[in-house]
Amino acid sequence: MKKKIKVFDLVNYIVFIIIGLIVLVPIWKVLIDSLNAVGVYQFQLWPNKFTLDGYKTIIQTKLLYQPFLNSVITTVFGTLLGLMLSTLAGYVLAQEDLPGRAMLAYILLFTMIFSGGMIPEYLVMKRLGLVNNMWLLVFKHGVNVYNFVLMKNFFEGIPGSLYEAAKLDGCSPMGIFFKIVLPLSKAALASIGLMFAVTVWNDYTTVKIYITDPTQVNFQYKLRNMIMDGDTPSTAYHVSQTTLFNAGIIAAILPFMALYPFLQKYFVTGVNIGAVKE
Amino acid sequence: MKKNKKVVTSTGVAVREKPLGIRIWNNRGYYIMFIPVLITVIIMNYWPMLGIRYALYDYKPVGTPKLIGFDHFTKMFSTDAFWVAFKNTLQLSIMKLIITTITSVVVSVFLNEMGNLLAKKTLQTVIYLPHFMSWAVVASIFSLLLSPSSTGMVNGWLKDLGLIAQDQAGIYFLAESRWWRPIFYLINIWKETGWGTIIFLATLSGINPELYEAADIDGATRMQKIRYVTIPALMNTIVTVLILNLAKVMNMFESVFVLYNNAVYDVSDVISTYIYRQSFAIALPNYGYTTAVGLFKSLVGGALVIICNQISKKVRGRGII
Repeated sequence: MKKKIKVFDLVNYIVFIIIGLIVLVPIWKVLIDSLNAVGVYQFQLWPNKFTLDGYKTIIQTKLLYQPFLNSVITTVFGTLLGLMLSTLAGYVLAQEDLPGRAMLAYILLFTMIFSGGMIPEYLVMKRLGLVNNMWLLVFKHGVNVYNFVLMKNFFEGIPGSLYEAAKLDGCSPMGIFFKIVLPLSKAALASIGLMFAVTVWNDYTTVKIYITDPTQVNFQYKLRNMIMDGDTPSTAYHVSQTTLFNAGIIAAILPFMALYPFLQKYFVTGVNIGAVKE
Repeated sequence: MKKNKKVVTSTGVAVREKPLGIRIWNNRGYYIMFIPVLITVIIMNYWPMLGIRYALYDYKPVGTPKLIGFDHFTKMFSTDAFWVAFKNTLQLSIMKLIITTITSVVVSVFLNEMGNLLAKKTLQTVIYLPHFMSWAVVASIFSLLLSPSSTGMVNGWLKDLGLIAQDQAGIYFLAESRWWRPIFYLINIWKETGWGTIIFLATLSGINPELYEAADIDGATRMQKIRYVTIPALMNTIVTVLILNLAKVMNMFESVFVLYNNAVYDVSDVISTYIYRQSFAIALPNYGYTTAVGLFKSLVGGALVIICNQISKKVRGRGII
């Protein structure tokens, strides 16, 4: 019996290592290739000809750093707009005895069931002047009804007695929102703010559909076009194509990878509120 | 006249509820706060719905739209490419859903059995990583790894193992119809399995330890405990995950969009990519036609959400929206 448990544990450790390797090998391969002056197919633990030229090219070439800046700007503003709208929506919808609350909720929920579709949306964005304009990303992702509902779920966890005490003290809805709800919801703000940020930063499809102006595209779009559609011949830069491509991938994932170990718990909270509690 | 109903405050005192008009006035602060939400949702989500009427129009980039009735729908239902896209949408999303759910469950069970907490936490951190990479990045990583060129790792390995002759060209995995789907599923497994475990691990941490103790007393082995305690405890969550995601099968877009190419349309084209190409990537697009296809997609998608919501209410006592 005792020996059997040992065997099980051993197998478990081996499976653990295999799963970890499956996830890490592709990422490590990209990282090493981004630092390696010559492209090879072998998996290496360390570059055999170390270089930082790939990253230098990204920082120094306007064609590449402009999209990166666009990604940063749209992510910051998209997250801010998203947080503003979702806290307002979540706060109002969390008021249980608000007359008309159900109707307001249905107005939001209906958009999760039915939508205009790609072309009608495109025509509206065109009218708004958001085609070929990176601010489209801010509005498209800032208005995310699913995250509004998540924020409402968070806010419903705040004890109602706190609201009532504040109301008795003569606090206005706006006052309660700023003085009580927001300070109590730092975890929710971090968690849902991250969801907005990841969505905007990672978006490729919206850019592909709406934006053709090279000064307005984001980094994900630039990266995929470079690697998969052969856009931007790397002969223009004094660095091997493989090195540049891999450095681009690392630059695209670096911001979140750097923050990720510290923020992991907020990401996980978001999922659990969304799926388990509903 | 109807009498105002009594309401009980949190202090337990019954008071007469005020008339609706006064209650609305007293709550005006909340309505004002909701205005920015309402305006943005109406502009971004409701205004486009008015454009659905173009499904009945002949609408080209030049010239004015002309009413033509249901011609676009007739054309759509008699177009092979549309049916291929519809079939692919269902097949790719449902297969992906089933496969990644299975891998997530298996990995969760392994994680749950790991006694070493540090090892468990480390692996969790690692396997959540790919979820935060965009589809554009994931597609780029795998197109480099799977590339038939001299720097493609997978083809290099296959040559080292002698599965491909050294002087032969590598396999172009993403551009061959018979390889595209398996590769698509594998990439999905790589990206989403880890993230999928979160919800199962939450369930597993809620299992009453007494169940395992009782199994110990009965002399159950660890495999038996997994089979008779862990898996049954997960069944509800598995059903929940399947229902939640079944509602979204029509949404499949970005993952295919970044990985497909014109060599593999037959196995990879989905409704959304079909709409995209017919609108933006052909010489003479008819926005009326693609609006009609989009309407079909919205209606099927909406119906799925409603159906899944009903199933969810029956199975687990609450809806999904």
